[in-house]
Amino acid sequence: MTNSMNNNVAEILEKAKKLFDVRVEDIAERQHKLIAENDKTIPLLAFLKESGYSHLSILTCIDWIEEKRFELVYILFNWSNGVTLLVSTFIDRDKPVFYTVKDMWPTAEYYERDVHEFFGVEFEGNERCRLPLFLELWNDLPPLRKDFDPLKFSKEHFPDREYEKDAIHEAKIIRADLEDTRGDING
Amino acid sequence: MGEVKLFFGPNHPGMHGNFSVHMYVEGDIVVKARPLPGFLHRGFEKLMERRLWYQNLALIPRICVPEPDINEACYAMAIEKIAKVEVPERAQWIRMIVLELARIANHLWSFGGIGGPTGMYTSMFWSVSDRDRVLDIFEELTGARIYHMYIIPGGVRKDFPPKLEEKILKLMDYLEQRMPEYETFILKNRILHTRLKGIAKIDTETCLKLGVTGIGLRATGVPYDIRKVDPYLFYDKVEFEIPTATEGDALARMSLKPKEIRQSIRIIRQALEKMPAGPVNTKISDGNGLRIRVPKGMAYARVESTRGEYGYLVVSNGEETPYRVAVRGASYPQGLYGVEHLLPGTRIDDVPIWLDTMGVCAPEIDR
Repeated sequence: MTNSMNNNVAEILEKAKKLFDVRVEDIAERQHKLIAENDKTIPLLAFLKESGYSHLSILTCIDWIEEKRFELVYILFNWSNGVTLLVSTFIDRDKPVFYTVKDMWPTAEYYERDVHEFFGVEFEGNERCRLPLFLELWNDLPPLRKDFDPLKFSKEHFPDREYEKDAIHEAKIIRADLEDTRGDING
Repeated sequence: MGEVKLFFGPNHPGMHGNFSVHMYVEGDIVVKARPLPGFLHRGFEKLMERRLWYQNLALIPRICVPEPDINEACYAMAIEKIAKVEVPERAQWIRMIVLELARIANHLWSFGGIGGPTGMYTSMFWSVSDRDRVLDIFEELTGARIYHMYIIPGGVRKDFPPKLEEKILKLMDYLEQRMPEYETFILKNRILHTRLKGIAKIDTETCLKLGVTGIGLRATGVPYDIRKVDPYLFYDKVEFEIPTATEGDALARMSLKPKEIRQSIRIIRQALEKMPAGPVNTKISDGNGLRIRVPKGMAYARVESTRGEYGYLVVSNGEETPYRVAVRGASYPQGLYGVEHLLPGTRIDDVPIWLDTMGVCAPEIDR
């Protein structure tokens, strides 16, 4: 973990560019984003894990609906030099299938279940990714997709209720314009 | 008698938080455990996409109730990274003081939390009353006791009111003289020794494999702390130590908490001493203060919370609302994977002890 073989970030990024054909964007002083092709993402993650970036902070997904694709973001952290790498890859929005990384990071099993539940991305090799985690008995579009409309969903599932309380009448009672005819608490 | 399926939580009085664990038990030994979050799901990430950047400030502290300030700090720091804004020096020091006060408040709160499953109610009375003194400081500073909405993108909302620094120093002196009592109370207490020693053990290798951070990792002897490794704000300009223990059990984790409070007190004193005068906030973008626009981009900001690494991934497409915000709850690894794989073999009554000492906070798993 800590015996990072190489703390030189520039060298790691150069190697990643050469070996995995990634595009690198600098976000901040100790934070870089690596954009990789689908087929090279898993080998790239394995390479980074071996190079000291062994802590997976989170795996999450972004829905770019206009470009019709999902972006999967793996956030890796190096405990020895405090550098964060965001490894991102784009997958098709209509057939969102990717490979699991749960063999590299056991906790990723739950992150993948989370992403599957909220975006509908399937992870090949994670046989439990279809199990419900937060949203039991959910039978609609995955809710964090941009085309999911919460208002429409709530109108369908929770019909409007009629309120019988007359607020103006109540206000008049409070203002003492009217006498309270509801009786006292014992009555 | 064979295996019995037992639903533990979410409304069991011994359960820690709004969380449920489905267990198969033989006698009182857990054979199989399955975590069941989802009782608290409020859809924060979806709500944030439909609100303005500033409106979210009123929403995000609700994600984690015991320590709300870390949410605001992460959110603000991520936005500042995207917009490449320099925060004034005084605001950075004030943020540090607020974060450390929140840290102290949460550690005190967790002393109360351990009182429930172990049946030691004195700890609740002591710690909750001491935490209230910290909340009094927050009330004077921000007008609210729990959800402060004080740290905003670009700085903090307003400067210290007069005489607050003296009050903070007075509180620090009080807490420092209370700490030996807490330590005696925890480390030399028969109830806690019987109920916590050797319970819910975890070793370094498992911690690193799972990605457990924070007090769970430090109790196994690894001195990892994001404030040292990836310093944010001005943590590289103050002196503090990282307390560690080697046993990796629940008692070791509990005994670290008073030591961490001492370090927080040390940081706050240094911050008050080094804090310069000056402005406390800066503009993120021109135009209406409420309808700020953040330039296109994405950034991840993390802080060291009491439970480990807490982070926000903020994505902006240049509009008035965030395009996507993802929250990395600190208790994801120990609350889901840890419950499933590390609880089998322990007794039923040790489940809430695992959840409390590892710092599993159900709201940040569910969001």
